[in-house]
Amino acid sequence: MSCDVERGIDAIQVEVFSNRILAIIEEMGAKLVRSSFSPNIKERQDCSVALFDAKGRAIGQAAHIPIHLGSLKGGVDAVLRDFDLDDIEEGDAFICNDAYLAGGTHLPDISIITPVFYSNGLRFFVACVGHHADVGGSVPGSISPSATSIFEEGIRIPPIKIMRRGILQEDIIRLVINNTREPEDRSLDLKVQVATNDFGVIQTKKLIEKMGLEAMEIAVEDLLIYTSRRLKKHLLALRQGSSSFTTWMDDDGLEGQTVPLSANVKIENGHLLIDFSGSGPQSRGAFNVMTTGVIATVSYTVKALLDPDLPANDGLYSVIQLKMPRGSIINPVYPAAVGARTTTCQKLAGAIFGAFAQLLEKEQIMASSHDVLAGMVFSGLSKQGDRRYVYLETIAGGNGAHSKMDGMDGAHCHITNSLNMPVEAVEHEYPLMVEEYCLINGSSGSGRMRGGMGVAREVRALSDDTTFSGRADSFITAAEGYDGGLPGSHCRIIRNYGSQNEIVMAPKQRLISLAAGERVRMETPGGGGLGDPSGRSIDDLAIDLEDQRISVARARLDYGNELTEKALKMISKSNPEWDF
Amino acid sequence: MSDNKWKIGVDVGGTFTDFTLLNDNTGELKFHKVPSTPEDPSQAVDKGLSELTKFYDISAFEIEYFGHGTTVALNMLLERRAPTIGLLTTKGFRDVIEIGRQTRPHLYDYTLKRAPPLARRVDRKEITERITADGSILTPINMEEVELAVKQLGTRGIKAVAICFLHAYLNPDHEILAGEVVRRLMPDAFLSLSCEVLPEFREYERASTTVVNAYVGPKMQDYLVRLEKNLTRNNVITSPHIMHSNGGMLTVKTAAKLPVRTCLSGPAAGVVGAANIASSSGYNNILAFDVGGTSTDVSLVLDGQPLFTSERTVAGYPVKSPAIDVAAIGAGGGSIAWIDGGGALKVGPHSAGASPGPVAYGLGGEHVTLTDANLILGRLNPSTLLAGNIALDFEKAYVKMESQISNPLDLSVEAAATGIIKIASSGIARAIRGVASAKGNSPSEFSLFAYGGAGPLCAADVNEEVGCPRIIIPPAPGTLCARGILLSDLSFDFVRSLLVIAEVDGWEAVMNNFEVLKEQANKLFINDEVILSARSFKYYLEARYMGQSYELRIPLPGQLKSNSLVEFIAAFHVEHKKEFGYELVERPIEIINCRLEAVGKTSKPISEKATQNKTEPEIKETREVYFGSAFGWKETPVYERAGLSHWAKVIGPAVIEEMSSTTILPPNYEATVDNRANLILVESS
Repeated sequence: MSCDVERGIDAIQVEVFSNRILAIIEEMGAKLVRSSFSPNIKERQDCSVALFDAKGRAIGQAAHIPIHLGSLKGGVDAVLRDFDLDDIEEGDAFICNDAYLAGGTHLPDISIITPVFYSNGLRFFVACVGHHADVGGSVPGSISPSATSIFEEGIRIPPIKIMRRGILQEDIIRLVINNTREPEDRSLDLKVQVATNDFGVIQTKKLIEKMGLEAMEIAVEDLLIYTSRRLKKHLLALRQGSSSFTTWMDDDGLEGQTVPLSANVKIENGHLLIDFSGSGPQSRGAFNVMTTGVIATVSYTVKALLDPDLPANDGLYSVIQLKMPRGSIINPVYPAAVGARTTTCQKLAGAIFGAFAQLLEKEQIMASSHDVLAGMVFSGLSKQGDRRYVYLETIAGGNGAHSKMDGMDGAHCHITNSLNMPVEAVEHEYPLMVEEYCLINGSSGSGRMRGGMGVAREVRALSDDTTFSGRADSFITAAEGYDGGLPGSHCRIIRNYGSQNEIVMAPKQRLISLAAGERVRMETPGGGGLGDPSGRSIDDLAIDLEDQRISVARARLDYGNELTEKALKMISKSNPEWDF
Repeated sequence: MSDNKWKIGVDVGGTFTDFTLLNDNTGELKFHKVPSTPEDPSQAVDKGLSELTKFYDISAFEIEYFGHGTTVALNMLLERRAPTIGLLTTKGFRDVIEIGRQTRPHLYDYTLKRAPPLARRVDRKEITERITADGSILTPINMEEVELAVKQLGTRGIKAVAICFLHAYLNPDHEILAGEVVRRLMPDAFLSLSCEVLPEFREYERASTTVVNAYVGPKMQDYLVRLEKNLTRNNVITSPHIMHSNGGMLTVKTAAKLPVRTCLSGPAAGVVGAANIASSSGYNNILAFDVGGTSTDVSLVLDGQPLFTSERTVAGYPVKSPAIDVAAIGAGGGSIAWIDGGGALKVGPHSAGASPGPVAYGLGGEHVTLTDANLILGRLNPSTLLAGNIALDFEKAYVKMESQISNPLDLSVEAAATGIIKIASSGIARAIRGVASAKGNSPSEFSLFAYGGAGPLCAADVNEEVGCPRIIIPPAPGTLCARGILLSDLSFDFVRSLLVIAEVDGWEAVMNNFEVLKEQANKLFINDEVILSARSFKYYLEARYMGQSYELRIPLPGQLKSNSLVEFIAAFHVEHKKEFGYELVERPIEIINCRLEAVGKTSKPISEKATQNKTEPEIKETREVYFGSAFGWKETPVYERAGLSHWAKVIGPAVIEEMSSTTILPPNYEATVDNRANLILVESS
């Protein structure tokens, strides 16, 4: 693309400049996290910060959440599209969130974008985005998998000025916050976002002053060239050619058929082309991904597969070309709903991982991970009885086996990495009791290297009139094993587990009403195995058996009698009283 | 017999074990260094002690205080060679320590795994029992299950057992009952109860801290016994004090019971030293950084006080006890320079460490490091380091720099070496700026405080990117940690979670809790023989607005009884506004933890003085030093640090050498020596 790859770069300056840019962005990120009010931004750090040049090219980001760079870039592009350069003034700041009007990926992610002026010219943009816990719409939390249009998902904000020449537009803020369920929280967090950018503007100006504008512009070009060159080198080292992989979702959010997500990855002369043709049609529910979300997901996979420390900037994008068929689940037509895009992005990342697996060296390969974002939402009357609470929990699963190691047990994968809420905090805060939080025995996909174990979390309602919603996927589908490895276990929701009135359900449930004493359990998928199970080392199998990660019966089935017997013999040596 | 009284501080580092001696009568300070003995750190302590008593002609009977910073617990966690332990948990929750907070350690790098649990799943036994969120017993503990579980652990050869039940911070009864069974059936096992190690809300962090305590327990006990024996054999009559992570000291007895508290004592000692030295020169706000062989520790001191955190991970394991807040990055003298796939020059995070070390050490190091770059540019003494203890091979470093860095990048050797220093400095600067901004501070209001062997070498380069108005270099910057140990008092932290609303009933509960904690503290003081007049207590409440999930620490000033609920609420709002920029006066405040810091005063300030004879700085020698393309090679005077007297002024370019470190003064800097023998560097006007 625009980068002149033949040009030499300053090998020292590029690293020093990169540190300078990251210092600014990290300082902004620290300020945003430190000062924000809502647990979503402050505790779970569901927010990101980035720096762009005046053309809207991303220079760097503090990546707490990979998908955010897509919406920030989309937002800056939308500002440049909707406003003449003459209409952008020093002291202005823009707010936006909409998927169709402002490059957003779903409405709860609200971006604030602030231009940086220096010697009478627009030079850069600083931008930050936070996941606001509620932006209105048909359900608390604004994400309803069965929403059928974006109008059910909350307030839509195109790029508009939230600050004009340094004056905060209180009327705009009132308009936005009063379209949400928690106006006070929204107002505090939005003002913190604006202040974060103000700080970023000052720091960026200081850096321009220190380096000189021309030198800084050259350093930006160098950084982008350097990044694309670094990525190209990785791509050139891969097997050239193309390869496809398809993963599946149970349905599109409303009942019906499984939905494919297909990626055809082609590597040619150090360029990466990914064609998503063959992916399912646009979701009738909220599982659609905007193209900015696809770009962010692709960037994540490129870093994860090829170079975890690769800077996330336009140099990376310049090496990638994407084909996203319009009207499909990864490029929906207005006004399709997009709230529940995370699960689709997880599956999409899994498809790209799968396609790459055939081009990577054997020792770089990883089998499929659980590839969902499992969520449990409880709501009811608070302990004090004075208000309704909403409690959202995400639950990790098993990750794919890696050629050099077993998959991680009970850890988030791909584009999410959020913290759980401590059991003691849940029980203190809500009329709920956690009955079990554990790794599920036998949930990993067996293999030479096994997949990670899925997680079970079981919660008892202590008061009547508690409602529960669950969202995930993979009730029918599962994390695939590679190279002879076996698939991981499925995802499911179980009401009153182990009792006479136990009911097993798919993991997409909306507003189930629970009576006091009733329990609901969510089990997340395990990761896929890698390599033929018969190739597993006896030591590893023995440890898994001893640690009850797999039952003897299941081991015999997956790993064969001979290997299992040897492993059992090994255990009995160190455990004279071992009881099988 | 002389009536000299000596205090000794010993800090065990990765490469060297440092000793600081303080003559308690005269205030005179002496330093000593011996190579560390990682297999058994007490050997180096033993060797150094006998060397220095001989060298300085000190009778062991004159040693009235022996303070010790130890990395035994930390290294056990880093190396994970100790046997795994047993754990008893509430039924349904044995995997809590394995799932943790369910995050992966790196967003993008799947080859990095979480640190494996220190208790294997087979040795994590679930017990039928349940305490609820209000502390009441829902299901009484099944003692038969406990007996069976403990017997099973015994047959598997387990040497240490941790117990962590849900809500035990509110009601310890079940843990105590189960603990009695362990004591009865496994009398030799090391036992940790979460209600004793950390009676604090949030099960994963509490369990992790309790498990770490049990894991490091047996070996730490052995080490302390050995240490005491060695001291006795050397005729030292005083019992050692052990540094812990909050910058205070513990008696051996307490450290043996709660070794988890010593995990982060090394960096803590340095920060205590830095805070103390800077504030006695009138600099109360500093950004301190310690550049060692493999890593750099960064910390912030505000109003003379180091910042504390209660959330640290040690080698991947959360340890939740108050610790001085230190951020570490992988940049040090041994950091290796390399060229990445995109054609950029990188420094670290791989390090040549102490062995094989930089190319110039001639111990088999093949990769050029930051130290080699400093040597090539004349910034380091071209022949020796550490007063002759390490010989340097300039030629070899030069050749490797040429072949590995400057030829491939088509740069001169000077430019390549300068680049390595600039890159390492910009990385350190980024970490310092991060530490400053995490609490909302601007570096322009702080002094930069550089220590560690390699800190003063790059201080001016680092400050180019940080922008502090001045740089402070303490005397003997390479042995600051050992001095910090002499400046630390006996201290211990007590905590109890109670989770109440800040209103009249809740306040009564708070006061009752503090009384209980104070009783525990006094018991400890009596045990440790701290006299009444030396005892002091600091009270803190950790609280939040309803709906938040993070707490602010609010000190309760002076006597406990004098504090009122109304004043606390007002103080909370003020602190929240100061910390986060706003207050919510309508929202109820929730009090989460009562925290008591008990201090037994044992130290007194070290008043180091610069020599007062106002002689002109004497130039020891001159050598060619390269100061970047702007200045080029310059014939540069070299000074001996000890020869610089009070108010001496040195104009850059200059090199100031001392045994444990080298300070670089670029042409645009000047330095003065203050009353306490610190070098104060500022940019020339």
